[in-house]
Amino acid sequence: MSKSSISKRSTQDKVRYFFSEYIYIVIFVVILVAYIIINGRSTSWTTLTNIFLHSAILGTIALGMGLIILLGDIDLSVGSSFVFIGGLTILSYNATGSIFVAILAAILIGAFCGAINGFFVGKLGVPSFITTLATMLIFRSISQYHMNVLGETRYRIDATNDSYNTLFKIGNGNILTIPNIGIIFILIALVLIYVTGNTKFGKQIYATGGNERAARLAGINTKNLRFFVFVLAGILVGIAAFLKIAKDTSFDPATSGQGFELYAIAACVIGGISMTGGKGTITGIVFGAMSFSMIDKIITALSMNALLNDAVKGTIVLLAVVLQRVQLQRGRASE
Amino acid sequence: MALLEMRNINKSFFGVPVLQNIDLTVEAGEIHALLGENGAGKSTLMNILGGVYTKDDGSIVFDGQVIDHMTIRKAEELGIAFVHQELNIINELRVYENLFLKRELTGFGGRLLKKEMIEETRQFFAGLGVEIEPTLYAAELDISKKQLLEIAIALHKNAKLIILDEPTSALNNEEIDSFFNLVRTAAHEGAAFIFISHKMPEIFALADRYTVLRDGELIISGAISDVTPQDLTKAMIGKSTQNTTFKGMEKDVEAEVVLEIKNLSGEGFKDINLSLRKGEVISITGLRGAGCSELLSAIFGLKEPTAGEIWVKGERLPTGDIKEAMRRGIGMVPADRKENAVIDNMCVLENSYVSEHCLTPRRQNIRTKRELARYRPLENKLNIKTNSEKAPIVSFSGGNQQKVILARWLNTEADILLLDNPTQGIDVGAKEEIYALVNDLAAEGKSILIHTLEIPEIKKMADSCVVFYHGGIAESLCHEDICEERVVELATQADFDNNKTETNEAGKENE
Repeated sequence: MSKSSISKRSTQDKVRYFFSEYIYIVIFVVILVAYIIINGRSTSWTTLTNIFLHSAILGTIALGMGLIILLGDIDLSVGSSFVFIGGLTILSYNATGSIFVAILAAILIGAFCGAINGFFVGKLGVPSFITTLATMLIFRSISQYHMNVLGETRYRIDATNDSYNTLFKIGNGNILTIPNIGIIFILIALVLIYVTGNTKFGKQIYATGGNERAARLAGINTKNLRFFVFVLAGILVGIAAFLKIAKDTSFDPATSGQGFELYAIAACVIGGISMTGGKGTITGIVFGAMSFSMIDKIITALSMNALLNDAVKGTIVLLAVVLQRVQLQRGRASE
Repeated sequence: MALLEMRNINKSFFGVPVLQNIDLTVEAGEIHALLGENGAGKSTLMNILGGVYTKDDGSIVFDGQVIDHMTIRKAEELGIAFVHQELNIINELRVYENLFLKRELTGFGGRLLKKEMIEETRQFFAGLGVEIEPTLYAAELDISKKQLLEIAIALHKNAKLIILDEPTSALNNEEIDSFFNLVRTAAHEGAAFIFISHKMPEIFALADRYTVLRDGELIISGAISDVTPQDLTKAMIGKSTQNTTFKGMEKDVEAEVVLEIKNLSGEGFKDINLSLRKGEVISITGLRGAGCSELLSAIFGLKEPTAGEIWVKGERLPTGDIKEAMRRGIGMVPADRKENAVIDNMCVLENSYVSEHCLTPRRQNIRTKRELARYRPLENKLNIKTNSEKAPIVSFSGGNQQKVILARWLNTEADILLLDNPTQGIDVGAKEEIYALVNDLAAEGKSILIHTLEIPEIKKMADSCVVFYHGGIAESLCHEDICEERVVELATQADFDNNKTETNEAGKENE
């Protein structure tokens, strides 16, 4: 890297820098424009604000996934723990009728699920792929068995509770035309942007993901760090489960959160998080998650067969990654 | 007709000559010792022979054939085998599968003839005097057995010349004996060996002839029986450079002992006693694998020692706990900067504060103002030259990177610094700066334990020098007694025959 590349940049360099650092914004804008064009005349303010609504739940999960990928690990269990946490949270709400208890339950059970993963990955050193593959099977299986024992098919909110209307409003209401759960998602993202960028804990995640051995020799307790990051990611899944309850009032152990682990990873990838760890930003994940959610809406708007959904999503993930690679190589060549 | 004749070999990298008119002759059945300090050109010469590098000039004749363009494949076909320090054994395969890899005996339809291969392996090993069960997985073998296996593989491929690159550094005495027996047996049957080693007892026990390189030039070559270990040591180091940096300040011999190591043993070293006073610089040195690096890792808590105690400022240090060592004021600049120290996705500033942050977890918020206020004085003091502290650390030279790592520990206000080979891979100018820094830091009252493989460095920094040989302390020298020749003699045990018998076999007994 030459001296001039840091102090004085030409306009061309600036554009190139923007493209390599903020490629996720470019992808977002391209998809957004496509979405608006396809919607044509029916595009309205609500169409746009609904992007927050549709990306909030997956986005919250993706934020936790992003932290784990930054560490150089992966979490395949989020789709299953989502259902597991959601089911138990609904039971605790139905038993108490308290929204506060429901939130607390979602967070605690989420932390518990994350702690199980974190214990095996962080403390025992089992590869995260294996650990979370196992817990992925375990969590969903328990929920399905539980439903089977109860002789039902879905966990359902008891609508006769006094607080039901409030809960439903949290999930489906707006503040200043913006969906509540979208606002919650953005607030959480803002907190995490601060945590990853401006706290010692956040820097340690990047350091460990960048060079784990060096991080350990610099004094970072990488075992504990791993554990805490998995717990934090679990809490985020818990919050996502609560948002889903407030929005949809039910959980189906067989289908809810199906494939979410892969969608969350995809959102991170589109958001520019490097799968080898240590590179990428929370802001990128927010854009990645919104881009990913819009693809659904585009397919609906085009009245394509919903079964083609994943084919389109997969194609876009591949395109995004290829674009990032090209940028990366260009960046290297110019150094 | 010699098996190998290399004549007038020249090689330059980027215009800098690294080999000049080197001759090397090896006869069939000969064990030829190749000596020289780090950077003398041994590896380059061997890499040319193995086809890794191409020579600029000169001729290679092997087994009667003139070889113009040596390639890795050609070297293999000719029967030249390279036994590296990093072994090429595949752990997941069985011993006989390793032996027959890519040359398996097969029957009808490609079926592996396992029984036949196992039987042949058994007979082949018996002929060599190697005691390894052919059906074990290679992973189950210890390192010495793997080394034997590696040589056996080379011999099984009918290698005529086997290059051994410091093969004994990981072996204990008995293992070295059985290793030597194998080499002797094979040499007796006509295989030639080039034996790269620094350990004089081993060279005198094993080799027939020798060649010494220094700064890319051939210094002397001849029969081992005509020289003494002292002759070879002198030939290796030549004139030692004058030291200019050492401040020679009056050390307070009554100063408080800040680090005391009592009977410490661990992987790679045993029964070490050492004490470091406030403001003192002790250099520990030895050949690669002598245990210096391992000792520093154990003090810092990276590896748990197996026995012994570490005391810091009068209190016993719990072992195997990096955080605890840091809290007591210990910092370590590890060897292999790229692997162990540089966090390559982060900027200079982030790299400089990461350790300090581990000690102050209560205040989580990072304020750039505070960090810069801490970094600026260090940047000045260490003369770190970066155009921006926000630039990625990997965009700067090795010397600047190393200074940032040093800043990382000064930032924690550590007063006991463990420096593991800190001048590795940095340019001459930066090296001098590091020497001066070590002197300055000691003058400020920091206590420094520095491990270096470059012996001329020691006199520029150290108040005393502790020389390691094979995991133990060979001798401790005070500053006045440090001279390159003496240190090399101790590190290579070149004086082994002064106090033992005069025969070449003494090496074995001495070990």
